[in-house]
This record gives sequence, structure tokens and C-alpha cells, in this order.
Amino acid sequence: MSKIYVVEDDRSIREELAELLRNSGYDAEYLTDFSNSKAEILSARADLILMDINIPNLNGEELLKEIRRECDTPVIMVTSRTSETDEVLSMSYGADDYITKPYNPTILLLRISAVLKRAAGTAAVQTYNGLQVNDAKGSLTDGSKDMILTKNEMIIFRFMLDRQGSIVTRDDLMTALWDNEEFVNDNALTVNISRLRSKLAELGCEDAIETRKKQGYILK
Amino acid sequence: MKLRSYLKDRLWFYIIAALFAGMILLFLTAYRVSGQLTAFIVSLFLLFIVSVEIIGYMRKHCFYDDLCSKLDGLDKKYLIHEMISRPAFLEGGITYDTLYEANKAMCEYVAEYKRSSADFREFIEMWVHEVKLPVASLQLMAHNHSGEFGEKSLEQLRRIDAYTDQVLYYARSENAEKDYIIKETLLKRTVANVALKNRESVQLAGASIETGGLDIKVMTDGKWLEFILGQFMANSLKYTVKDRVPVINISAEELQDRVLLHFRDNGAGIPESDLPRIFDKSFTGENGHTYAKSTGMGLFIVKNLCDRLGHSISVTSERGSFTEFTIAFAKNEHYLINSR
Repeated sequence: MSKIYVVEDDRSIREELAELLRNSGYDAEYLTDFSNSKAEILSARADLILMDINIPNLNGEELLKEIRRECDTPVIMVTSRTSETDEVLSMSYGADDYITKPYNPTILLLRISAVLKRAAGTAAVQTYNGLQVNDAKGSLTDGSKDMILTKNEMIIFRFMLDRQGSIVTRDDLMTALWDNEEFVNDNALTVNISRLRSKLAELGCEDAIETRKKQGYILK
Repeated sequence: MKLRSYLKDRLWFYIIAALFAGMILLFLTAYRVSGQLTAFIVSLFLLFIVSVEIIGYMRKHCFYDDLCSKLDGLDKKYLIHEMISRPAFLEGGITYDTLYEANKAMCEYVAEYKRSSADFREFIEMWVHEVKLPVASLQLMAHNHSGEFGEKSLEQLRRIDAYTDQVLYYARSENAEKDYIIKETLLKRTVANVALKNRESVQLAGASIETGGLDIKVMTDGKWLEFILGQFMANSLKYTVKDRVPVINISAEELQDRVLLHFRDNGAGIPESDLPRIFDKSFTGENGHTYAKSTGMGLFIVKNLCDRLGHSISVTSERGSFTEFTIAFAKNEHYLINSR
């Protein structure tokens, strides 16, 4: 379980954020005393840090710079400052991503998982029930047979694979698709999922995607 | 200063001089002074008048001609005082001193307004950042405790966020300070961010988004462009035609010296008579009355932001069939050098 450390001075936000992260299967901790932020953050040994720019005592950008000197834990800046200047500055100080408040929680989770994945490295080939995901070709293979997936199907499959065993809502899938510049509508999503299902069935994985009424889908 | 107008201005003096010349002539004749001497005295008097006038004209002519030509050439006329030097003659000196005092008072007055407008803007900016915190907090709460109520709250929170953004960008667009960064921005990413931000509204309206040729980088401020496209999208979703599936088409094309970004919808369109005024402040037009009430600020801010960024914006529309906004980004080497 990845540990995420929240640096945010607004009490209500950090508590809700921690709840959101815990609900999504992360271990969440947050900073409550900002007198010695840097040492506290470093000693938490988190896998990822969510940091606000407007924090007491030290500016978030300065803090980021100091943290970067000590370690390369991924950092996502989460702030209500919406200017390009702040974003450019944060990225140049070594932030991995920059999200403005208020944010769509689904998008935040999407970015977190993307950054964590990038930090973990791409060495491991993803597999599902003996099927290998071939990113370069955009296909699934069981060694003998290659099944080409469309871009949309691939996005959906990878998203579900990352969350194997837990419910994925249609909203989540929609967000993931739109984040990849695929602006599909409700019907198209249904079509894509049923196609993905039949392709998986052809590869011998019958009923791999289970529908949960009014909740979403589960990749078993 | 023309000689003729100077002479005309001095008419009173010539009349008095002529009067006195007449009187002298009268006296001299009365005392039976010889004709030669009379002629000598009178011509001496005339010479005196003429030389006084020539010198007087020359002094004024130099100063006022300089003043007028510099004033004509000046873009900011109130800076005229800085451009001239203090003349030696009395009237010029008074004029100069008056200009100096007036200018100084004006500068102080303007500076006061500048300060108060900067303060106000600063406060607005700070306030917007502050108000985004409870919105963010509520958004998280609504998400964590989802359900029908949560969904509805999220929708209202998005509205609040959109309105606060409008205030923020209005304050930014009206300000003289440069608070944007022009850098290479991938149109595809900007469009995806806008679409993602408005996804729920797009789906609620049953609209579909088509894109084409967006794999182009342009020189702009990404955040500002996101706001601009967000305004277009909000309008497209608002002014739809009943029983027609709304389609938003966003495409880009690269020309030799610029990149054009087209934002087209198949909505209600804009009446031709309203078209020239849609970028005016507080202009609501026919659509603004027949559909949901509009503030008439969205496109005004958009135009301002485009002007500040140096992009040109144009619109074409046909009533009942489509509206298309086009933004032109310059492909200027000058930008590239600046960003390095």
C-alpha cells in the first residue's frame, strides 16, 4: 500500500483528502504542525507527497526545493494559485505534477496513480491471468495469440487492471478516457466495454469484467 | 506660431503706436520742426517699434513652435512638460511652471488611483484563492459522501468555481501588469484539460466533442487559454437548439505565419445584428435575453485576454445553425527567443 503524505494547512481539506485517499486504498498521513515541516515530511518516508503552496512559515515552493535536495520522493503540488507562473516555478523546482484547487477528486486520484506508476518504473510488464500487456503494439497476448485492442479499450483495460478487484465506476472510466483526449460519450463507453469483454473472452477470460448494478465494474 | 496670427494678436499695440506716431507728428508740425528732422524722428520711432516686435516675435516663436511640434509628435500628450526646456521670457516661464505643477498634481492623482486599483486587484486575487479553499473542501466532502445529493452539490460547486474564475480573469485582464507567461503549449493538452473540467456539463447536455489536428504547439499562456476555451464551451452548452444533439468541434490548422484554432458548435448561433458587439462589455444581445440570463462579461474578458496575449480573435455565425470562434496565434520567432 502506497503511503501518501498531505501537506495542507486547511484542516477541513486535509481531513477530507485523507479520507478520499484511504477510501481509494492508500495509506494517508498529514502534517499538523508546520513549525518544522521539512523534517516531519522527510521522516514520514512517504511514497508521494501532496503539497500546497500557501502553507505557514515556509512557502510551498521553497519547501519543495529543500525537499528535493534531500530525496526524490514524487511531489504533486496542489494549490489554489492558478497562474502559469506558479506552475512553471513548481515544475522547475522538481514537482512531478501540478493541480489547481478546487479539483475533481477523480482526476486527482488519476494523477496520483500516474505519478506513483512513473516513480515505480516501467520495468515490470503488466500481466492479467497469464495475458501480457504489450504497450508498444497496443495488444494483449497469451503467448500464442495476439489480440489488438483499440486505444480506448486499452485505456479502459489498463485502468481496471491497476485497480483489479475493486469497483471502478463509469465516471472513473470516463475521466480516464477524457484525460487521454478521448472524448467519448456514455453510449460509446458501453460499446467499448462490451467489445473489451468479448476480446477478453476470445483469449479465454470469460466474464473477466463483472458489472455491479449502479456502481460500476470489477475486473476479477 | 504663424507670423500673421502674431501680428493680428498684436493689433492693439500697433493701433496705439500709430496713435502716438500721429500725436508726435502733430506736435512736431505745431512747433514747426523742419521736414527732415520730422522724417528722422518718425522713422526712428518706427524702427523702435519694428525692432521690439521682431525680437518679441523671435523669442515667442522659438518656444511655442517647439511646444506645438513636440505636442503633435507625442503619443502621450500629458508628457509634454518633460519634452521642453524652460524659456527665458516671462510668459513662457509662467506657462512652463503651470504645466509643471499641473503635471505633478495629475501624476499624484493618477498614482493614487493606480495604487487603489492595484490594491483592489490584489484583494480580489487573494479572495478568489481563499474562496477556492472551502469550495475544494466541499467538493471533497461531496465526493466522499456521494449519492444523489453529492452529485447535485458537485454540479453547484462547479458553477461557483466557474464564477470565481471569471472574477479572477476579469481582474487579471484589466490589469496593466504582466502576469502571464507566453510559452510553448500543446493545444491537445489544453483542450483535454478544458474538456475534463467541463465533462459533467458536456454529458449532462448530451453533447459530443470532436477534435482535429490539435497536435500543434502554440505560443500562449496555457492557463489563460484554458479559461478562454472554457468560456466558449460554456456558451456552446448554454445556447443549444432543441432536439439537436450539440456537437462541439475543436480543430487547429497551421498556416505559414500563424496557427488558427477553431471552436465551432452547432447551436443557436448569433443574430447578425448582434455579431459586431458580442465582445463589448455587458452586452447580452438577443440570446442573452431569450436563454438563461447572461452577464455579458464572458466574451468581453475573452477579448481582453486575447488582446493582452497578442492573439487575434474573430467570430462567424449563422442564426440557428452554428457559431465559430477562431483564435490566431502568431508564429513569431520573437516569442521563441524571449522564452529561451
